[in-house]
This record gives sequence, structure tokens and C-alpha cells, in this order.
Amino acid sequence: MMIQLDTNIANFTNDKGEETPVQIEVKDVNIFYGSNHAVKDVNMPIHEKSITALIGPSGCGKSTFIRTINRMNDLIPIARCEGNILYRDNNILNPKIDVVQLRKEIGMVFQQPNPFPKSISENIQLPLKFAGMRNKKILKETTENCLKEVGLWDEVKDRLDHSATGLSGGQQQRLCIARALALKPSVILLDEPTSALDPVSTSKIEELLLRLKKDYTIVIVTHNMQQAARIADYTAFFYQGELVEFGLTRNLFTHPEKKSTADYISGRFG
Amino acid sequence: MSSKVTNRIALSLIVLCAIIMAGILAALLGYILVNGVTSISWHFLTSESDPFLAGGGIKDQLWNSFYVLIITMILTVPIGTSGGIYLAEYAKPGKLTSFIRSCVEVLASLPSIVVGMFGMLIFVNYFQFRFSVLSGALALTVFNLPVIVRVTEDGFHSLSSHQKEGGLALGLTHWHTIKTILLPAAFPSILTGIILSAGRVFGESAALLFTAGMSTPNLNFTNWNPASPTSPLNMFRSAETLSVHIWAVNTSGIIPDIQTVANGSAAVLVICVLLFNLLARGLGKVINNKLSGKS
Amino acid sequence: MKIDKAVIAQTPESSPKSSLLREKGLMKGFIDHYSETRGKTIIYSSALLMIIAVVAITLFLTVQGLRSFFVDHINFWSFITGTKWSLDQTNGASYGAFPFIFGSLSVTLLAAVFATPVAVGCALFMAEIAKKWGQRVLQPIIEILVGIPSVVYGLIGLSVIVPFMRVHFGGSGFNLLAGSLVVGIMILPTVASIAADSLRAVPDSLREASFAIGGTKWQTIWRVVIPAAGSSIVTAIILGMSRAFGEALAVQMVIGNTFQMPHSIFAPAATLTTVITGSMGDTTTGSVSNDVLWSLGLILLVISYIFILIIRMLAKRRNA
Repeated sequence: MMIQLDTNIANFTNDKGEETPVQIEVKDVNIFYGSNHAVKDVNMPIHEKSITALIGPSGCGKSTFIRTINRMNDLIPIARCEGNILYRDNNILNPKIDVVQLRKEIGMVFQQPNPFPKSISENIQLPLKFAGMRNKKILKETTENCLKEVGLWDEVKDRLDHSATGLSGGQQQRLCIARALALKPSVILLDEPTSALDPVSTSKIEELLLRLKKDYTIVIVTHNMQQAARIADYTAFFYQGELVEFGLTRNLFTHPEKKSTADYISGRFG
Repeated sequence: MSSKVTNRIALSLIVLCAIIMAGILAALLGYILVNGVTSISWHFLTSESDPFLAGGGIKDQLWNSFYVLIITMILTVPIGTSGGIYLAEYAKPGKLTSFIRSCVEVLASLPSIVVGMFGMLIFVNYFQFRFSVLSGALALTVFNLPVIVRVTEDGFHSLSSHQKEGGLALGLTHWHTIKTILLPAAFPSILTGIILSAGRVFGESAALLFTAGMSTPNLNFTNWNPASPTSPLNMFRSAETLSVHIWAVNTSGIIPDIQTVANGSAAVLVICVLLFNLLARGLGKVINNKLSGKS
Repeated sequence: MKIDKAVIAQTPESSPKSSLLREKGLMKGFIDHYSETRGKTIIYSSALLMIIAVVAITLFLTVQGLRSFFVDHINFWSFITGTKWSLDQTNGASYGAFPFIFGSLSVTLLAAVFATPVAVGCALFMAEIAKKWGQRVLQPIIEILVGIPSVVYGLIGLSVIVPFMRVHFGGSGFNLLAGSLVVGIMILPTVASIAADSLRAVPDSLREASFAIGGTKWQTIWRVVIPAAGSSIVTAIILGMSRAFGEALAVQMVIGNTFQMPHSIFAPAATLTTVITGSMGDTTTGSVSNDVLWSLGLILLVISYIFILIIRMLAKRRNA
């Protein structure tokens, strides 16, 4: 199993195969859901312009953790975070931070495609309008660019004013990614973006992510190890709320240091 | 920056709206109770209203309100719950069902004065019931029926389908399942709805104006023979209810203490409605606790 | 093969038992059948009764309301558009109902204008900002307000709003504005609770999506949640308007009840419902003065049906 996977790992950290600088530094992060200690003492770097995958069995805290990076957990009243997530000399977890600005720089795509029940172009223009953009020309251009970036332009250019809810699941998810790109964020978080999609749509999204990592830092939660192996430069393995192992994907999959990592990636549990 | 300011302003406005709503209730209840409670006395509750002089009470009106309410409930509850059961359990999707649903919707949305006019036309004039307790109760039945139907249907819909399947699997017929399993299970929510609707019926005025009338004959509270014209139980006498009384003294009353009588009556009315509300909540909770075994 | 054997093995054993059961079942079946039929009869007849009620109301009010046009030969058009109303038979009666139609519609619209912002704001508070508080404090408040009888609202209008108008805007204090305010306050809780329900029905994933692209709370509410709840909120408002339109006594107590066309919102006016409640007792059945009141009732019924149709159309569009 491990050896098989090895041949699939085609990509490297960047085009030259070098490690990119660290963009987000996670230090001693603990997350509580009420009295439940959901994430324990996590320390890890997130490298710029690379794909970092978070894997692990369900309930291991990976989704909770990724939602903390742009403070989406604020929406859950019982969730509480401790520790530091350093991003551009700021601690993301600082209560005083401007979460709206933060989310403009760190975008997010969810498990279920969640386009707004509005037109396709409106979906992409909404984040810009939120940010105060009123210039029609720029709005139009951005719509086109973002849709082209996710490879959706040719499929929808004739029906930009149609409702986004009429698109297929895969198209909706690419639209959601395009929507996240509209604000030119530096980081995009994806929480199991392909788990609700069919294999063809999934591979389209994977190709898209590989293209996007030239310009964006990508963090993706996936329950699909093969997906992590196919696209991620770095992989973090979570188990029962703890970060068990973090490393370059090729190392983690070929020479896991911890036994539970080896068990998981060889399919012995989870 | 500007979006942040907008956010702050908009959110404050929303909070303001909530405060206004809470303030309206406080002001309304405060006004009614503060002004009204002082005029409530044992004498006020137990003496007859006086058409010309000050110092009249609301005994007859209070009795009439409860009497009309009870007759209305006796008429509406069986019909309304069976209608609700029909819609929840028997109605097959189709033209007839959607027509019945439209009828319920229409009945629920018609202005109560329209219902009152209909009652006047049919019960008062055509059936010759005159302005009477019965005409009033029948008009209120038309007015309250859709509410009970909806309450029952919602109560049935909120049950899990397992309970019904369980009953059918035991070899019970559909009707038996409804009677022995579903109806008892839906009972708490239906009861709550019925009590709340009773509060609405109790305060209704426009539908009663042309059906129960704006006057009450001299009632003799020692005469309980329903056939006697002075008996409080007589269904074929006119009956001014409390809410109609409030309206009547304010718009056409000539007594010198209109304010006192109106405020006192309103306070009694509101207290009764509040009691219905509390009762509905309390009973619902008690029965639910009993069913779930929390003593 | 195994199954066959099992069936064969069971058959001789179970057949006497099953015949026994059937005998018992016959009685039980008979009772069940009887009770089932009786239950169904009750249930079907109550459904039938509701149909009869609606048909009867519509039919009788229509027949009675058309009398003034077909029996008394009043011109329908001049009835609708005329502005002079006088039931005084000796000095030449005139039946122009336009001031009342206008009064009803303006009270309805003004009430909606007063109630909508506060009601929707209150709904937003309950559904978006403080869910716990909304559930625990505001929801019961609203339920109590819905239950307060309309005459009580009228009485408050009479003893608070009317004197206030008299002091600040002059005149008697009984005017169109007072009527609209009373009804506006009366429909507030209804609109708020239905609007809150429709906001709660908006899936959280849309809110998440909006926050994730840097929307502020207000931007999320304004650009995403309200449009998504859209037609349900409109339905709430229209339901409120239909209640305002049909309200009789509360309005009658404060609006002033003149038969003239109001020239401003500070002028006394009348609505369809107030004229009916005010004059019905003074006219005798079968007279022209009485017939025209039923015609007003018919107009009331028709406009109520229009409200119902609008609400149904909105619901249909939502489900489509």
C-alpha cells in the first residue's frame, strides 16, 4: 500500500522542489467545544504557496482546527480557542483582531457547496461588494477572471445571470472556490471540498488546486488519503484531537515515524 | 472602514427594534394593569353593569364571555380536531385535499367582522336564533375552526412515523392507531394550541357584535333552568361579552365612569388572556414531563 | 430447498391455529370495521363542514352584497368611485363608498409602513443576533402580544394615542394616523413572529459562506439572509396587512368615523369595517341603507380574497 502510493506522489513543494517559507505558524493551539477538548496542543507550520493536507479519521479534530484558522469557530458559541496562530506578525486568535479583514485574506470553501441562491455572477461579485467595490467594470472583469481561474468560464459564460443553484454539484463547488478567489486572498482553506462530489468533479477540483497553489497557500482537510497523497506538499495527520505527525507528504507516506500514522495510511483503521 | 460603521449602526438599530417590541409589551401591560387593577374590586366583578349611572360592574359580561367561550369550544374542538386528523392522516394529495386546505386557509384569514356578518345573515336572521349566545358561539366556531384544525394537523405531523408504524404493525386498523396511539401522543401540543385559541376566542369582539348582540337581559343567577329567559344558561338570549362591552361603553356609553369601567374590563380581559397563556404553557410542560417520565 | 422444507413443516402445524385466530379475528374485525367506519364518518363530515362554511360565507355574502346593485339599482361604478356617502333617506341619500375603500387601504398601508421595520428588526434580533435571548425573552413577549384582544389595542389608542394627537397635532385627535398606529402596533407581533420563522429557515451554510468571504454581520444579513428568506418575509408582511385591513373595532374607536374623504393623515376618516360596525345597528334589514352596508361587506370580502390569493401565489413561487 505504501509503496503503491509512493509512485503517485508526483509533486514537490514548489516548481523547483524547494521548501517555501512558512506563512502561518501554529503554536500550542487548544480548542474546546464546551467541556470537550477537541484539539490538543497543535504545533505546525503552513508553508506559503503550497498545499497542506490535514488527514485523519472522522472526529479527529481536523475540521475544527481548519475552521479556527479564519475564526469560523466564532460562530459556535460554545467553542473556545487557546494558543497562537501567527500570520503576518498577528495572532489570529487574538480576540481583538478584525475577523472580517482576516476572512478576506484567508478564504474558505466548505464540504457542501454553498452558493448563494443568486445569479452566478452575483455570487462572485458579492465578496467584492462586501469589500466596498462599486465599479461595474472591475466587478465584471473579476467575475470573468475568477471563473476562468477555476475553469468554469466556458461552461457558464452564457448564463451568468442564471441562478447558481441550478449548477451541478461539482460546478457549484468550483463556483464557491471562484468566489473565495474574488478577494485575492493569500490563503484558501478547504474543508473536505470533494466529499460531496463524484469522482470526475473531484479530479477537476484536484487539478484546479494544483494550478492554484502557484499563487495561493492552500490548506485542505480530506478524509481521502489518496487525495492528500496526490496533491499535497505537506501532510498533517490528526488522531483523537492531537497532531500525531507532520511532514512533507512524500516522507509521511513513505516513512511515517509514528505507528498510528502507518496504521492509518495503510488502512488499518479509520 | 465604512462597512464596519454600517455594521455597527445596523446592528444597533436591530437591537433597538427588539427593545421597542419589549417596550410596547411593557407599556401596554403596564398601562392596562396599572390603570385597570385599581378599578377591579369584588363589587366590580359581581355587580351588574349600569346603563346610566356610575359604579356599574361587569358580572353579566364576564359570565357571558365564559359561557360563549365554553359553547364555542364544545362545538369547535371535536369538529376541529377531526378535521385536523383528516388532513394529517387521511387526506390523499389531490385536488380535493388542496381545496380543503384552501378552505381552512380562507377561513383563517377572513376578517372576523366578515364572519360576524355571515353569522348575522345565517344564524341570527335565517335560522331565527336572534342575537343570542348560540348565534355568537356558532360565529366563533367558524372563526376558531381553522385554528384548531391547524393545531391538530401540526401536532400529528410532529410525531415520528415510527409510532404510527408501530401501531399498524400490531394489527390495529388505521382509525384504532389514531385513537389509541397517535392522538394521545399528540395530545399535549393540541391541548396547548386549544387553550391558546381559547384566549383568542375570549377576546374576540367584531364577530360577536352582530351575533351575540350588545345587550344582556336581566339575569337571575339563581335560576339555572336553561329554558327560562332570565337564566344565565339560556342559549337563546342576547349576550354582551366583556370585549364587546369595552367597545360599547367607549363608543356609545353614556355612563360617567366610562374610563374606570373600560380600564377595569380591559384589565380583567388581559388578565384572563394572560392566564390562558400561562395555563397553556404550564399544562403543556406538565404533560410532557409526565409522558417522558420526569414525574 | 431449505425454505421449501420449512414451509411444508410449518403448514400442518399452523393451520389449526390460524383458523382459530380467524374466528376470533372475525369479531374483532367486525368491531374494528364498525369503529373504523364511524371514525371515518366523523372525520370526513368535519372536512365537509369546512368546505360548506367557506362556500356558504362566500355565497351568502355575495348574494346579500349584490342586492343594492340588482334590487335597489344603485350603479356599481358610482358606488365604487363616488365620494359622497349619506344614508339620510329624506334629504336624498347618496352612496359613494370610495372614501371608505381609500380609508381601509391607507390604514392598511400605513400600518404596514409602521410595523414592517420594527417587526423585521425584531425578527432579525431573534433569529440572527441573540438567539438565546430571542428564544427566551422576546418569543414569549411576542406570543403574549399576539394574544391581546384587539379592543384592548383600541382602548389604549383611545386613551393614549388620541390625546397625544389632540395635544400635538390639534383637532379632535381622532384621525387616520391614530387608526394606522393602533393597527400597526397590533400587527407588529404577528409579522415579527412569522418573519423570525422564515429567517430561521435559512440554512446556516449560507451564513457561513458569507462570513467566509469577509462579510460583516450586517452584510450577511442584508445581502444573503434577507434575500434568501425573501418571499417568506413578504408573506409575513402581507399577512399582517390582511389583518390590519380586516380589523374593525380597534380602528373604529380611534379613527373618527366621518363620511368625508380625509384630506390628510391628521384628518378623521372611516374604513369599510368601521362604517359597517357603526351603521349596521341603525338600519333595518331589507332597506337600501342596510343593503349598501352589505355591499361594503362584499368589497371587504373580495379584497380579503385578493390578499389570500397574493399569499398563496407567494407560497407557490417559494415552493417552485
